[in-house]
Amino acid sequence: MRIQISHDTIYQYANPPAGVIQILRMTPRNHDGQYVSAWRIDISADCRVDAQEDSFGNLTHTFSVEGPVSELNVHVEGEVDTDDMHGLVRGAIERFPPALFLRETPLTAPDPAIRDFATAAKASAKADTLSILHALLTAVHAELTFDVDPTHAATTAQESFAIKRGVCQDLTHIFIACARSIGIPARYVSGYFFRNDGVVEQNAGHAWAEAFIEGLGWVGFDAANKISTTDAHLRVAIGLDYLSAAPIRGTRYGGGDEALTVRVHVDQAMRQVQG
Amino acid sequence: MLSRTADNLYWLARYVERAEYLARILEATQRLTALPLAYVGESNEWESAVATAGCANAFYAVFPEANEENVTDFLAFSTDNPSSIRSCFEAARTNARAVRTALTMEMWDAINGTWLELKRYGNGPTSREELSRFLRWVQESSLLFDGSAYRTMLRNDAYSFTRLGVFMERADNTARILDVKYHMLLPAHEHVGGPLDYFQWTAILRSVSALTSYHWVYRESLKPWLIADFLILKEEMPRSLASCYENIVTHLDKIASAYGRQGPSQRLARGIRTRLQNSRMDEIFQTGLHEFIQSFIADNNRIGATVSQQYLT
Repeated sequence: MRIQISHDTIYQYANPPAGVIQILRMTPRNHDGQYVSAWRIDISADCRVDAQEDSFGNLTHTFSVEGPVSELNVHVEGEVDTDDMHGLVRGAIERFPPALFLRETPLTAPDPAIRDFATAAKASAKADTLSILHALLTAVHAELTFDVDPTHAATTAQESFAIKRGVCQDLTHIFIACARSIGIPARYVSGYFFRNDGVVEQNAGHAWAEAFIEGLGWVGFDAANKISTTDAHLRVAIGLDYLSAAPIRGTRYGGGDEALTVRVHVDQAMRQVQG
Repeated sequence: MLSRTADNLYWLARYVERAEYLARILEATQRLTALPLAYVGESNEWESAVATAGCANAFYAVFPEANEENVTDFLAFSTDNPSSIRSCFEAARTNARAVRTALTMEMWDAINGTWLELKRYGNGPTSREELSRFLRWVQESSLLFDGSAYRTMLRNDAYSFTRLGVFMERADNTARILDVKYHMLLPAHEHVGGPLDYFQWTAILRSVSALTSYHWVYRESLKPWLIADFLILKEEMPRSLASCYENIVTHLDKIASAYGRQGPSQRLARGIRTRLQNSRMDEIFQTGLHEFIQSFIADNNRIGATVSQQYLT
């Protein structure tokens, strides 16, 4: 599938800040089943953009804008060819051994409720890791209701699990917390998802989890859609949780009254057909 | 475009590139063997020249032993060797003639002029000096052809097929050098740093005309692992495997978008490029440089077969 992305993140400041620094993890890399044919980052302000690689092997772009800035638009667009790898992630850059991804983070720390939930899911499945993870995927999807209202970017797995509601980010955190609590390395993936229901304009990117299975390697699990990753998933950055894989993190000097608009356009490029 | 035309363009470019590569190999070997034995060791450099050219079997069928005279004759002038410089230029010119209308006048002049000029050299030069001149001339002819193609060709599928030929051949050649000389580049090589290594390493870099650019990139004395890094992973280096694959992918993508469909060649080429992009030299050394190169050569052959199945037949 050839996925076309156009992603705008627009900050409007009623009270312009003196400066803004941001770090972007918005550039996908190539691996088996994913090939970036074109990718571009446009920042509406004049600034120097430094491309680097973070410790997980994600491509990052760092920039700082000298203010005052009243509006800032980070525009990303590109085209990526994907093939369905049935969830397997191969040929990607791996900087750390899988065991690192057993590490708990504040966003993904399990509480007794999550531990019990994970153990129950594990007990309901056959003994192999893949079956356990699929049981967990189904359980998380069934237990939680997708709801954009009650949670925000800093909601932890525990909070979201308590109210049984959340967005893809929360479902992913809960899935990761469960998997780690039963000894399976799991990590957070931020990216894009092409919806086959015809909805092209989305108001956020997508997130899912990857879990490590001995003999198979990393396998993608999308709790919000209750599927393993397919050619509709475009993988951009990985991390221990949302904070280390977030598309944009940053800070500003002074100013205030910030309004944030995100427009994500994920479409299928029709120019080519697979032969 | 007829696949026959694409095939001719592709092989025309491949043969010209191959002739240039053979000239480089001969030149580097000639230089290496001109050094005192104490510097270069006991190894027979002419033998490894034949191996690097990839025609050891054909060579030993004709000659019992690899020495300067035999190897030069076989790689440069022999009509028995289908990959000698002479055979390459002849095959290139035959391909060019078959698609004369798809070439620009400058390209045709370059290749036809080369072919005519080749006759003047008869059955080979009589002195080392003359041989050097001949090898220079081969490289210049290839530059002339390449430059004419670059400057005068319409940027359409025909252009992409010639570029594809150039870069497939180039990747193959660089990989072949690495395959024959890989033991010189291993970090645990027994007499690292001796004069022998120094001259061998310069010879490797010279055969891909990268001696000066090496110093620009690394600003260090010659280190075998850096040479391997340079020849395999550096996209800035125009003869590195990474750079060749960057170009192969670009041109396969152009062909795909011109024809509105893509297939196994594109997928395979992207896979190989991704592997080169995601590899680091220390990891390659850990898993084995020789294994890495062997699997690259296998991949490169596979993509040659795939391209020819998808487009050229």
